[in-house]
Amino acid sequence: MKSELKKLRQLNIQLTKKALRESVTPDTLIIQAVKTVEETDHLLNNYGKRLREWLSLHNPELCAEEESVIELAKHVLTGKCAPKKNSYGSIFSDEDKSPLQLISALIFSLEEHKQELLSYVERTMKTHYPNIHLLAGSEIGAQLLDRAGSLKKLAEFPASTIQTLGAEKALFRHLKTGSRPPKYGILFSHDLVHKAPKNKQGKAARLIADKISIAARIDYFKGEFRGEELLKDVKEKLK
Amino acid sequence: MNIKPSKIFEVYENVEKGKKQLYTLNLIPGRKVYGEKLFMKGNQEFREWNPFKSKLASTILKGGQNIHLRKGNIILYLGSSTGTTVSHVSDIIGEKGMVFGVDNAPTVMREFMKLVTDRENITPIMESAAQTEKLRERLPKEVDILYQDVAQNNQVQIFLNNLVFVKKGGYGLLAVKARSIDVTKNPKTIFKDVRKQLEKETTIIDYRELHPYQKDHCMFMVKK
Repeated sequence: MKSELKKLRQLNIQLTKKALRESVTPDTLIIQAVKTVEETDHLLNNYGKRLREWLSLHNPELCAEEESVIELAKHVLTGKCAPKKNSYGSIFSDEDKSPLQLISALIFSLEEHKQELLSYVERTMKTHYPNIHLLAGSEIGAQLLDRAGSLKKLAEFPASTIQTLGAEKALFRHLKTGSRPPKYGILFSHDLVHKAPKNKQGKAARLIADKISIAARIDYFKGEFRGEELLKDVKEKLK
Repeated sequence: MNIKPSKIFEVYENVEKGKKQLYTLNLIPGRKVYGEKLFMKGNQEFREWNPFKSKLASTILKGGQNIHLRKGNIILYLGSSTGTTVSHVSDIIGEKGMVFGVDNAPTVMREFMKLVTDRENITPIMESAAQTEKLRERLPKEVDILYQDVAQNNQVQIFLNNLVFVKKGGYGLLAVKARSIDVTKNPKTIFKDVRKQLEKETTIIDYRELHPYQKDHCMFMVKK
């Protein structure tokens, strides 16, 4: 009896290990990359604020003028952050400048990593999911995959779910209290939606979600590339 | 601190200032599973059982007595996740028992495999709890107990379908998450509907609502 159980356990272990090996598909990797991009963005934001505040003790005029934190970091790293005459910034010794160098190097490095990750996402989406890539773009497409959890789930979602992915707070509030439903979630950042006139944004979100849903299904079931005609269809309807 | 046996087989407790804390005897002394505290008493090592992390523990603390887990039992555990509760079930049934832990998600199954390496009385099955026919090929002919904790809207039907694996006179424990069934309905209404559904095919022997440990959850205990 007990040896039967042991054999059954070994069989199940082998089957499970095989299933785990096979569970890593391009969408799993894209989701890891896009989650890392999000986390990198948080870090960039926090360190960026810190650099700006710290550097403005030494060169407030530069910090006030330069909007981009990456450019500020470049100024520090190339040694071009000395204040002009009659600045209200304080003199920093070399010793005091060195932590600013460290933070700037870190910010620069984070930004480089973020760009490399986005480039990886772009290449992977284009190779494996060309329809979603054309319809949604690689960043939004990857975020949709992240929210869905997998390409399979994204392909199984009705278009209305895709339309509201990212607006869960508003969606459940609508379902529970009857308040007005959300028109878009992540899709708001799609060019066709946020660039549309305000009274057409809801329609744009709905149309693009419909086509993304079709695109996801084509990509999941490995159909041919029909992204061009789908995109054309949306643009026609939005005129 | 006096850890002593509780009314539930193989589950231990310590009562301090009116508060009760549960423990199980560690099958693998010296090893933690999820960062829980370990306590020595003589030459026995106990693992602290957190009711906020484990629905089975909260069921016991809410007075659930019909758990029916015994040494040497064969358990079908649907929704094993990372194995927090499974590890305590593994402690309870001992080395002669077996837990078949079923979960569909690769992320949690990867964690679960660490438990499988350490404990020979745990078997992993990466499969959907809803696929009863696929499970049939991977399970023994009969199990003693079915334990289910899956967050699906058709969780009650899944439970009833999988009761087929339980021997006659065996038991089932169903953790019900009201919000998975219908996020808009009142949980008490949902629990009443679940009760009606279960009564058609089983005998309900115990029922506990799991607050404050778990919000909008309950546990039904049934006999086949």
